[in-house]
Amino acid sequence: MSLSLASSDTAKPGRRRRIGRTPAFAYAAVAPTLLIVCAVVGIPLAYSVYLSLNSTNPITKKWIFVGLNNYVTVLTSPDLWWAIARTAYFAGFAVVGTTILGTILALVLNQRFPGRGLLRSVVLVPWAMAPVSVGVLWSFVFAGNYGTLNALLTDLGLASWATPWLGNGFRALNLVALTHVWNQAPLTALMVLAGLQSMPGNLHKAAMLDGAGPVARFFKITLPWLKPNLLFISIIATINALMAFDILWIMTRGGPGSATTVFAWLGYVYSFQFFKFGEGAAMLYVLTILSFLLAIFYFVVLGPRRVRAAEDRPLPSSSLEGTLKRRAMAIIPPLPRRWHLPRHVARPLGKTLFFLLAVVIFIWSALPVLSLVLMSISPAGDLIRTPPSIVPSTLTFDNFRAVLMPQVGTGGSSVQAQRVPYSLLNSFLVGAAVSLICVVLGTFAGYAFARYEKLRFFKYSLWALLLTRMTPALTLVLPFFIMFRTVNLIDTRTALIISYCSFLLPLSAWMMKSYIEGVPKSLDRAALIDGCSRFKMMWTILIPVVRPGIIAALIFCFLASWNEFLMALILTSTPNSQTIPVVLSGFLSQAQFYEYGPMFAASVLSILPPVLIAFVFQRYLVQGALSGAVKG
Amino acid sequence: MTSINIRAVAKTYGNFPVLKGLDLDIADGEFVSFLGPSGCGKSTLLFCIAGLEDITSGSILMDGRDISELDPRDRNIALVFQDYALYPHMKVKDNMAFALRQQKVAEATIQQQVAWASELLGLEQFLERMPAELSGGQRQRVAVGRAIVRNPAALLMDEPLSNLDAALRVRMRTEIKRLQRELKITVIFVTHDQEEAMVLSDRIAVMHGGVLQQFDEPMTVYRQPANRFVASFIGSPQMNFLPGSMVGGHGGGRLVGIRPHDLSPADGAGGESVRLEGELALIEPAGPVTFLDVLIGDTIVKATTTDPSAFRPGQRLTLEAPARMICLFDEATGARV
Repeated sequence: MSLSLASSDTAKPGRRRRIGRTPAFAYAAVAPTLLIVCAVVGIPLAYSVYLSLNSTNPITKKWIFVGLNNYVTVLTSPDLWWAIARTAYFAGFAVVGTTILGTILALVLNQRFPGRGLLRSVVLVPWAMAPVSVGVLWSFVFAGNYGTLNALLTDLGLASWATPWLGNGFRALNLVALTHVWNQAPLTALMVLAGLQSMPGNLHKAAMLDGAGPVARFFKITLPWLKPNLLFISIIATINALMAFDILWIMTRGGPGSATTVFAWLGYVYSFQFFKFGEGAAMLYVLTILSFLLAIFYFVVLGPRRVRAAEDRPLPSSSLEGTLKRRAMAIIPPLPRRWHLPRHVARPLGKTLFFLLAVVIFIWSALPVLSLVLMSISPAGDLIRTPPSIVPSTLTFDNFRAVLMPQVGTGGSSVQAQRVPYSLLNSFLVGAAVSLICVVLGTFAGYAFARYEKLRFFKYSLWALLLTRMTPALTLVLPFFIMFRTVNLIDTRTALIISYCSFLLPLSAWMMKSYIEGVPKSLDRAALIDGCSRFKMMWTILIPVVRPGIIAALIFCFLASWNEFLMALILTSTPNSQTIPVVLSGFLSQAQFYEYGPMFAASVLSILPPVLIAFVFQRYLVQGALSGAVKG
Repeated sequence: MTSINIRAVAKTYGNFPVLKGLDLDIADGEFVSFLGPSGCGKSTLLFCIAGLEDITSGSILMDGRDISELDPRDRNIALVFQDYALYPHMKVKDNMAFALRQQKVAEATIQQQVAWASELLGLEQFLERMPAELSGGQRQRVAVGRAIVRNPAALLMDEPLSNLDAALRVRMRTEIKRLQRELKITVIFVTHDQEEAMVLSDRIAVMHGGVLQQFDEPMTVYRQPANRFVASFIGSPQMNFLPGSMVGGHGGGRLVGIRPHDLSPADGAGGESVRLEGELALIEPAGPVTFLDVLIGDTIVKATTTDPSAFRPGQRLTLEAPARMICLFDEATGARV
């Protein structure tokens, strides 16, 4: 008779529980996550395959099966190939830009200097902001007559340089790509910073003694160390660039002409403006396949490389121990005397240059945001002055009053402005609910993935989860739209919560897996031996230990949900469920100049929570980047 | 051909002094250990010599030339790090060639030199491997190889053996000693392991609290410790300290230090000796010798014997030590008198 720790009703007499068997708990822990992801990613994806094989008529609502005809139409359309070319240019610009800029940011932020914490937070702000707010900000900076850039040029006496920046097609594409870089570079910086911090400090010291100067050390030591990170980062950046949609919607809507009509935009236009669901779905499927190919490329190139294990055979004896005749030493020329600045000159010079770089970074990150704040407290009339100026005539809180207290406002509060307070509440409720659900489920799933990664079931389902990271939201949103309409969930907060799970649940599961991997297994074992059930072990031991990870995951999920635009745009239509980015975009479609003031006030309100998070939880964001699966 | 002179070197982090004005002269080809408890400043001093840390005041001379203002790469000093700091993305041979490549030495010379160093250290079969594919002992050797390959003016080692298991540590320290004899290179070796320092060094610099306590040959440090700190830090088990009043003839204000290895049960043999009487509390066999814990008054005194068979705990016992083996310290200052 074996002694079993399990309760007697599960351990049948004579049948010993096999030690080392995967506990049912592990399967139970991943089940909710996998089922939900299947439901909110798998089903829509399958549905969109079906859509892409049909031709739909939006008026008669007739569906006709057309086989691969949609794909043929799409792939033979010159529009698509032009869009692909523009997308490639946009993605190339974005990847090169974010990687170089992000690396520079990370190198600076990795140094020790007074004010580093502040600068780290400031650098994160452009990324923490919703892309919609980024678009609002930069479209007004680049705006034709009254834009901030032109106003600044006028103030500096360079009025002749002023121009409608987004008016020229190629320039518009470049400027939108630059805006994308401004928004995304901090993410790269976070991930590079994580790589830099994992670097053993003695490597650089050893290289210094080996005679390598700062430049040689960067290229020969730092860059090779970062290589795996950088490859991963550029894949993430490529996918984020392929899916870039929000800032395009706000800034150029594909124009002028079709100069900024990239792939994602074309798919959106086909699906939701021409209502050619079949062709739209086909187009978005092409985009999905492109992303998946990149993902496969990632796995092939960056998958764990096999390292020959260190052999455990004894050290061979060195020839020092014998008396054999030995090879002669080479004659090494003496160290050349290098010319160098004396230390008392070089040090302050280096410090000054570094300080200047830090100031430039501060300006790059903070100035546009500050100008948004300035615009929000300027009277609306200032924004259309001739000649334009960046100096406000007076400061006022009217704009904030208009959006926060629509009833007692100055009487001029528009319909759009009245929607702001409720949309902030919607954003908050959706964000809180979805992050809570995703992090709770993700923590349990992350535990099972971290501890049973070697088992085939967990290995493959983890890969499947990671692949969802490569699925463009645009591909999912069309099926969501049709499915939610059929079950009458369209235009509800519930619909948003469900659809956000499609990308937040894989993200939180992946993040929690990385954190739990850092906790020694012996801790689980100690708790189990001390008589905990597995659930109790998670609850009383593991969850308190990984609390920083849970906070980081909550923050990332909340930020991503707060900033999400595309799904909210398609799935909501009334103030009942509209979130703040949707309301912001609504200001733009109404395009009344007196609405600009409240719009800027609303933009400032929309970036307030992300900015606060960047400042208060900067440490957690840096930690979170270590897990390497950050949502753009 | 490298002598190193350290002149009144001080180093502070903020307001915290780590090194408090050290003077040290290291001769050419000498093997010197910096020994002390953790936090005594020994590694900081080593990094200052290498140029990885700036000194706050004083100067460091190499062959009479002031190098305190030089960058690390202009000092021609090699350092073996505690964690080896092998470049993880380079093969062993590239790790070893890295410094010479930075100096733009001809490739043929580099190859010859790498071949020489790898043969010397028995590393030929590992040259094509990555550091991750090596065991701890192999990595340690590669680190040494990388350091000697460029024929540095001085070889600095920061606790290079502390990550190895006990058997390998003993073997590698012999190897390092042979290597130093062979190359006739100046070596500074930082350790907190007093046995390592004793075995390896020509001279030991004992440090404590950023201050040099004693700089002398190993046996001098052992037999004539400059003060109570050195006496207690060197030697295992630690030296016994007794108030002068307890040991005949020495008045108050003095401490008597007797090493356990010098103190053993009295056998009535002649010679001038110090005697102590107490109760045997504990017997600790340790192989070649057995330690005896003897309670004298309310102090435990450690003694040794090679034949423990005659002793039982609880019995009374007389211990004696040759008078010439005894150290006297000033109770107030701790200095030896």
